[in-house]
Amino acid sequence: MSSDQFDSALDLLRRLPPHSTAANLNRICALAPDLTEELLSSVDQPLQTRQCKKTKRDYLLCDYNRDGDSYRSPWSNEFYPELEDAEMPSERVRKMEVRMGEAVDIYRELYYEGGVSSVYFWDLDDGFAGVVLLKKTTPKSSSEGGWDSIHVFEAIDRARNAHYKLTSTVILRLSTGNEALGDMDLSGNMTRQVEQDMPVQDDGSHIVNVGKLVEDMELKMRNLLQEVYFGKAKDIVGDLRSLQPLTEANRDKATHQEMINSMKR
Amino acid sequence: MPSDNAAAVSAFIEGAPPGELAEVIADIQKLTVNEPKLLASVTPAFQKYNEDQLWTVKLPGSGQNVLISPYNALGDGKYYDIETQKSFAFDHQIQKASDVQPYTHDSEYSDLISSLLKSFSTHATEHYPSATYTVCPTPTSSPTTTTTIALLLVSNKYSPANFWNGRYRSTYLFAPASSTLSGTIHVDVHYYEDGNVRLTTTKKVPEMKLEAGSAAEVVRRIAGVERAYQEELNRGFGRLSEGEFKGLRRQLPVTRQKVEWEKIGGYRLGQDIGGGRSR
Repeated sequence: MSSDQFDSALDLLRRLPPHSTAANLNRICALAPDLTEELLSSVDQPLQTRQCKKTKRDYLLCDYNRDGDSYRSPWSNEFYPELEDAEMPSERVRKMEVRMGEAVDIYRELYYEGGVSSVYFWDLDDGFAGVVLLKKTTPKSSSEGGWDSIHVFEAIDRARNAHYKLTSTVILRLSTGNEALGDMDLSGNMTRQVEQDMPVQDDGSHIVNVGKLVEDMELKMRNLLQEVYFGKAKDIVGDLRSLQPLTEANRDKATHQEMINSMKR
Repeated sequence: MPSDNAAAVSAFIEGAPPGELAEVIADIQKLTVNEPKLLASVTPAFQKYNEDQLWTVKLPGSGQNVLISPYNALGDGKYYDIETQKSFAFDHQIQKASDVQPYTHDSEYSDLISSLLKSFSTHATEHYPSATYTVCPTPTSSPTTTTTIALLLVSNKYSPANFWNGRYRSTYLFAPASSTLSGTIHVDVHYYEDGNVRLTTTKKVPEMKLEAGSAAEVVRRIAGVERAYQEELNRGFGRLSEGEFKGLRRQLPVTRQKVEWEKIGGYRLGQDIGGGRSR
């Protein structure tokens, strides 16, 4: 029953307007409180930013750096609000987390030319796992935009390799408006997964491997988003209403078909 | 508490994408198994959804498509269609019509309405591959006078096998006495293959004064408004793609090279990002 309800909740959120996901998530949790924890950890929402008190740098909040009501800063490794006996990554995994965080910060500057990034790693029995977060918003004006990348991965140790499993979600919100256009909102999220074995010599290899996986995935997803938002959605509007009168369009089609037929002869 | 839950369910119904209300209802049913009466208690939400969305329903018997709106409502869950001269009962929750009866709607503007219907029909067939439309006097408190005439059009295209559905709908109000026209256009597109992407637009057509106020002029102005709007919407796509989208994340760094992760420790921000060609 409960897993059935969980699937229904996810299906519902996949159908309702993506810009009201947070409100609808709260409504579902009120209707079916048993689902709350599972839903909060599996439904991606736009990331929130907080400032690390020690380093004064912004960091991103998610379920993976949360303990109770506190969130760990990747820059200082401290929880805010302060927390005693918090669960921390092992020394080795924290070292990799710091290196990945620095690498992703450079990656962010190269691709996003702004925004905020955060990386969180944690230990697994047979390897480790992590999340790479990137967020950028454009300043509010007549048009607005927001991009959130959430890359969750596992790296499982094999002999000379590691097996990586990456699940990536991008939440992209765009809106524009003026008197002639009225209001236009084009928002949503897309999720993709990839699994790959990659060679590992030392812990540094993980930084390179995860970096490449994330970069390739973001390139693929950016192309996909471009196709869906500006190709597909626009085409569907054209399917609903034809700018060209349909009698003309059909005449053009018939002429075209005739040409093809005459060439076949 | 129960009223909160009813409000939640109503919000889900209101947010249902074009052509996916049945799926949304099925999800709600599973989520509210402990409160089986909840769904039945939100009939007003269903009515609002169907009327706002200009829901298209096939009339039993004739197979003719007609639409549901606040303007062609007769009360008690009944609606009428001017063109087919029928009235019918409509169940808002299962979205089915029944009890089709002959029906003639008398109005002081009957002649104007039939001319409008004719011109509007030509316009609809010229630009909408599958449109349902109607023209009807708006209900007024006094049954003998009508102040405005509603022109309604909805075009749906559902392609669930390809994970997308879309709806274009427009409502225009024409006041013959003052010869003024105003309206609203909405576009709603849902794309949901491995994700959830939604386009929603609202365009208010400000009140404009017509010259003669003939049926032909009314529809000519509507055609002009719709063409200008669709061109503007296409420009909106272009603006978001070239502006916001590009501004959020580049396709490749300025250097046009992917990141060299092996050497990432050696990147110096100022140099490699600004004028990285030296590398």
